[in-house]
Amino acid sequence: MPEPTSRRQFLARAAILAATAPTLGAFLQACSKNAPSSSQPSMTLAAPDNPVKWPIPDDNKPIADGLAPEKGATLKIYNYADYLSPQAIKAFEDQYQIKIEVSTFNDGDEAITKLRSGVDYDIYNANYTEISRLVNGGLLRPLNHSYIPNIKNVWPSFTNPFYDQGWQYTVPYTIYTTGIGWRTDQVPADVGAMKNPYDVFWDPQYKGKAAVLDDWHTTMAMVLLRQGITDINTSSDSNLKMIGEQLQAMVKATSPKVTITAYNDLPAGQLGIAQMWSGDIINAQSYLPEGTGPEILRYWFPADGKGMVDNDMLVTLKGGKNPVLAHLFMNHMLDPEVAKENFSAIGYQPPQNSITPDSLVKEEFIPENLRTAIVKPEYFDTGYRLLELDPANDAAWHTVWQTFKAGGS
Amino acid sequence: MRGPVAWWNDPWRPPRFLVGITVGYLMWSLLPVAIAVLYSFNSGRSRTTWQGFSFRWYWGDKALSVWHNDALHTALLQTLKLGVVTTLITVPLGVLFAIGIDRWRGRLPAGANFLMLISFVLPEVLLAVALLFVITTIALPIELGTVAQVIGLITFQVSYPAVLVRARLATIGPQYEEAAMDLGASPLGALRRIILPMLMPAIFASTVLVFADVIDDFVLVRYLSGDAATEPVSVKIYNTARGAPTPALNALATLLLLAALTAVVIGFLVYRYLTRGDTTTADRGIGAFAGEG
Amino acid sequence: MAVPVIAAPSQHGPPRRERVSRLWPALAAPGILWLLLCFVFPLYVVLCIVFGQVDPLFRTPIPVWNPLQWDPTQFSYVLTHIAGANGIFGPALLRTALFVVAASSLCLLVAFPVAYYVARLSGKRKGLLLALLIAPFWISYMMRMFAWVNLLQNDGIVNKVLTLGGLLNVHVDWLTGQPVVVILGLVYGYVPYMILPLYAGLDRLSQPMLEASRDLGADRFSSFWRVTLPLCRPTILAAVLLTCLPMLGDYFTSDMLSASPKTAMVGNLINDSVHAPGRTGQAGAFVMLVFLVALLPMLYYIRVTSRRDEVAS
Repeated sequence: MPEPTSRRQFLARAAILAATAPTLGAFLQACSKNAPSSSQPSMTLAAPDNPVKWPIPDDNKPIADGLAPEKGATLKIYNYADYLSPQAIKAFEDQYQIKIEVSTFNDGDEAITKLRSGVDYDIYNANYTEISRLVNGGLLRPLNHSYIPNIKNVWPSFTNPFYDQGWQYTVPYTIYTTGIGWRTDQVPADVGAMKNPYDVFWDPQYKGKAAVLDDWHTTMAMVLLRQGITDINTSSDSNLKMIGEQLQAMVKATSPKVTITAYNDLPAGQLGIAQMWSGDIINAQSYLPEGTGPEILRYWFPADGKGMVDNDMLVTLKGGKNPVLAHLFMNHMLDPEVAKENFSAIGYQPPQNSITPDSLVKEEFIPENLRTAIVKPEYFDTGYRLLELDPANDAAWHTVWQTFKAGGS
Repeated sequence: MRGPVAWWNDPWRPPRFLVGITVGYLMWSLLPVAIAVLYSFNSGRSRTTWQGFSFRWYWGDKALSVWHNDALHTALLQTLKLGVVTTLITVPLGVLFAIGIDRWRGRLPAGANFLMLISFVLPEVLLAVALLFVITTIALPIELGTVAQVIGLITFQVSYPAVLVRARLATIGPQYEEAAMDLGASPLGALRRIILPMLMPAIFASTVLVFADVIDDFVLVRYLSGDAATEPVSVKIYNTARGAPTPALNALATLLLLAALTAVVIGFLVYRYLTRGDTTTADRGIGAFAGEG
Repeated sequence: MAVPVIAAPSQHGPPRRERVSRLWPALAAPGILWLLLCFVFPLYVVLCIVFGQVDPLFRTPIPVWNPLQWDPTQFSYVLTHIAGANGIFGPALLRTALFVVAASSLCLLVAFPVAYYVARLSGKRKGLLLALLIAPFWISYMMRMFAWVNLLQNDGIVNKVLTLGGLLNVHVDWLTGQPVVVILGLVYGYVPYMILPLYAGLDRLSQPMLEASRDLGADRFSSFWRVTLPLCRPTILAAVLLTCLPMLGDYFTSDMLSASPKTAMVGNLINDSVHAPGRTGQAGAFVMLVFLVALLPMLYYIRVTSRRDEVAS
């Protein structure tokens, strides 16, 4: 047993430690990676009534015209899981003799943290609720439009969206609505005909069968819509408090799973009813086990379009090592044939001019029972968009969500 | 013919109850894994309904099988890479550390011993988060990726060989070394020629155990991974299990199981070979191999 | 350890025995350095982040390296939100304690008889049984949990067995937020970690001592209770610590067996906040709390064992 330290020795050592800590601190400060972000603590937030044209800093100009694609490279794509058709990937790989590596993330916050830590992805599947942070954080590379002629195949509104006027940084990838999907063998009721279909998540008869999306903004916005509050980006304290209480009530009533993989769990029979994106329910058809047909699937979205409507986008990252290939890949995904094939693989509809609700019905691309999952252009006029929140509001929303996820209070 | 009371009171009766518990436990422990391995040979896509036997998920299916799916390949290679590199560094580091701490007297080695014990039982997630913070906030030449994962794994595993070697040193005792030094050997010579050979079983045991532990590590490698190329099999299983898994995942896990088993069997055979004349480990068999004794 | 040597001063430098003391520090140095750099230093960094600042725009953490400039806001936020009106973290912490205690007790209940049987009573089959007991270590933890996910799915074998082939109509949703399933999952995952140290300790018990108590007339039960159990108390303590402490950081068991907030443990709290903007400091605070909770039993254990060594020698 070592002899006990004498008090003098202890004090001497404590003094030494106290003296070295600040020096150590100064040394580490010099090695530190993150400087506090400079300038204004507020960022420009884009909204449909406040469109934003992002500045392009001098040190971040687009690449030059007419460059050759990088040879023998590995194009790194950062995306949700099961969100890119393997066939589209293979076609691009074969065309340019390169390899593509897809890394996956579960939610946007996790993705941005990874991006900021310096991993050199080339392409990122972003949502416009992140665009301000991405641009201000210097994470994006502006686009050179000469590499992406296929933009002409896309709905014209996307060449000048409110979140990126002049499409300087983004191309659209998919469009989708957020509604409720269910299977008739577990949920025989006609959810779509109910007065307030969102009520199902508070209805104890669906206990153990329900799921909500593991996406803080979408699920909390659903609570607002259920109460008839249409400002789904609210910063009102009373609204946020109400959301928290309603989420607790929901846990008590139906104890839902919190997941983004309902497109697999619903067809597998694990769930009976779930808050889903329109692409999920279409995708769910391919996950049904043998012997179960797609006619048991249903989807509801407000017929007047007064629900959540969104789109995902592809951006190319400044830290990526293959900018030319990144541009070419974006162009590849905007090709009508590729986009259509991607649609059938992942279930999410691309905003292509050649894919209209009528054509989808005529070609029987979507079965009769899932017609409600088709995204109509009119939805974008009447629907509600989830927008990027300012840091303080973002923190408030996250606190409510964190309480919900901690299963507490 | 004894009555039941006599049977109950007989101190040497076979312990049927305990046998029952043990057999029950073994079945509960290994049966789910056996079933998972079984379904890796399923010819259909389901992991719960048997649809016939096939090697589809190993090499048959042109797109999704382990052989043809690049992502699964990379995962397997990454796992093995991490296992080999980590083991090669951890075992010498831990062994030398244990020998040094064992012979050195004083407060510093006692503190180091304490530190080592703490790192042995600490929840892995604490170390993972701490290292994540270090790499993302300090401008080191190390990024998230394989190097970071190796560093984390070494830190987490170094106490394993240290503990095993210390236990073995305690069993060996100081007499061989002292005899050697009495006969004129230097401490370093005594170490090299007497102690290290006697420690070989413990060293081998820890090599195999560290390897098996690393290839199935999850928390550290997930937090410290960079892009998808640095995600080993355990992370792939976790990611895919929550989404849309196919039996290819079962196949991957089975292959990993085979790799671990092979490593252990080889290690055990080498151990038997090395200790064929060693009386201190004579009757202990696998127990000594696992470092318990 | 070494016999003290009184050597006459010689012209050839210090006697060989005294040079011994420089070899051992040299051997231990790389290990100590590694632990300091890669174990102790990262823990300091965690402190710097918990007591550091938050970037106003991206809400990423900014570590503050100088202890004199540390800002306790984030840490006190976590502390004040554990209990009381704002107690959002309290339930998860309580649940963790509950799950870990329940799972460890169950582990002990299962592991002890098995270890006892294999160590003392299995005779010829000892090697084989030991190999089977060690097998789970080399099967990936993920794979074992994954296997259970398969079995517990709504159309999985467990439900099929429970319906007794169609006799009863049992439809239990095992995988949606059932605490019992998570506890059993923890037991399943960690019981091999308890069996091995128990086996090792029980293996070393001297059979003569146990037989003596039976010879002296004690019946089976009191012989167990008054001789065997006290003799293996240190082993049990070590085994429980070895299982219980790592369990505190578990989050993936709850994630895989029930993706519901109802079974969130402190590991889930850490995992959810590490990447979330503005809440990385909270993750660090939880890391600190778990570290303290894990440290105290370890300190106690080391004191107990070193005191025992003192007495024994």
